[in-house]
Amino acid sequence: MKDYITKKGIFIAAAAIVVSVAAAISVAVSGGRAGFASLLSEPFFKPVKSAMTSLVGSLEHLYDYMYRYDEIVAENNRLRGRVAELEQEYREYTEISEENERLRSLLGFAERHEDFAMEPVSVISWTASNFASSFTVSKGSNAGIALYDPVVDENGHLVGQVTSVTSGSSTVTTVIDTSSHVGALIYETGATGVISGEFELFRDGRLKFSYFSAEIPLTVGDTVVTSGSGGLYPAGLVIGTVTGISVSSSGLDPYAVVEPAADIGDSTHLFVITDFAVSE
Amino acid sequence: MTRNKHRTLVKVLILAPYLILLYILQSTVFTHLTLFGAKPLILPLAVVGVALYGGHAEGGVFGLFAGMLMDLSYNQPTVEFTLILTLTGLVLGILSDTALVQGFPSFLVSAVLALLLCSAWQLLALAVLKGAPVAVIAGIALRQSLCSLVFAVPLYYMSRFLSRVM
Repeated sequence: MKDYITKKGIFIAAAAIVVSVAAAISVAVSGGRAGFASLLSEPFFKPVKSAMTSLVGSLEHLYDYMYRYDEIVAENNRLRGRVAELEQEYREYTEISEENERLRSLLGFAERHEDFAMEPVSVISWTASNFASSFTVSKGSNAGIALYDPVVDENGHLVGQVTSVTSGSSTVTTVIDTSSHVGALIYETGATGVISGEFELFRDGRLKFSYFSAEIPLTVGDTVVTSGSGGLYPAGLVIGTVTGISVSSSGLDPYAVVEPAADIGDSTHLFVITDFAVSE
Repeated sequence: MTRNKHRTLVKVLILAPYLILLYILQSTVFTHLTLFGAKPLILPLAVVGVALYGGHAEGGVFGLFAGMLMDLSYNQPTVEFTLILTLTGLVLGILSDTALVQGFPSFLVSAVLALLLCSAWQLLALAVLKGAPVAVIAGIALRQSLCSLVFAVPLYYMSRFLSRVM
């Protein structure tokens, strides 16, 4: 055993000396670049070193976690608070930005129609009915709103008409409701007709343009606006766009399907036109 | 205060907030929620539940107020639901007092009948007064009844729970 250890010891010592000398020579020859030992050991040690570094990092993190827990929790709470503040600021900014956008659109609309007196309103609630389309708004006769006043969105697109008023709120029946009938004309051709809500189109939130002259052709994409006839609505309010042309079940009466320009179901801030110059 | 008066007061204190909560849900959440292309009606189901477990007096009174609130949520000045739901509550309450077994099958059958009654009434009014095409509005009425039935289970258990509390 002693001989074995001695022989092995001599062999190992000799090998170590050879390797050391070779390493010294290679470092001297390489002039500062990595020697052969480094090159030989790199494929083996690099992943081990990486793993160790990672392990040490994790241990440090665990150490921090254990000994700085309260500090980290406090910092976490502070950051959560800050995130909540920033989120609130962002929501406020978004709301202000959207309101600004609406008011800019309204300003453009109001500049085009200086004869209009408008009252801004908010939608409070929608009807629960599956057979009607109406909603309640936040202002009533105290704000100068009267029965049959037209209601538009910020772009001046027709939404509906006031059909019931109390001192503090009003009910607006939208143009897609089946009781709604509005004198209208095709902006491009001047063809006049009537826009009305229909049960067949109600589910899709569309309108029917009918009673128009068959001699004037209708085209998909035509814009339908209020004609102003009857004096209930001012002329020129955009109602929607023709999306299809069809014939009634009797096969005699052509009609156009119209997509409303106003986003009726999702509108929250609207304007009641309380006064306007009636066009003759 | 007598025992009966005390019990009545407890019922009012429980059923009134329940009704108000359902009305708020009906007129806010459910006006934006559509299933099968229709908005669900939950107040008629609540009337069925209260009448089934409470009898004709509770059913009738709850139906009266539920109907008034239902008309309010429809943005309509008419009293159609006030009449229908009061009748529903009364009749179902009498049946519950005399013949109906309290349980989910009875609730479900009564709920289907109450919803069909509401839909039929609306359909009749629209067809007669407005000349609406019956086939189209019958489709809407059917979808309305179907989507309302989705809420039969939670409203049944809620009614049963409240009746036990009272």
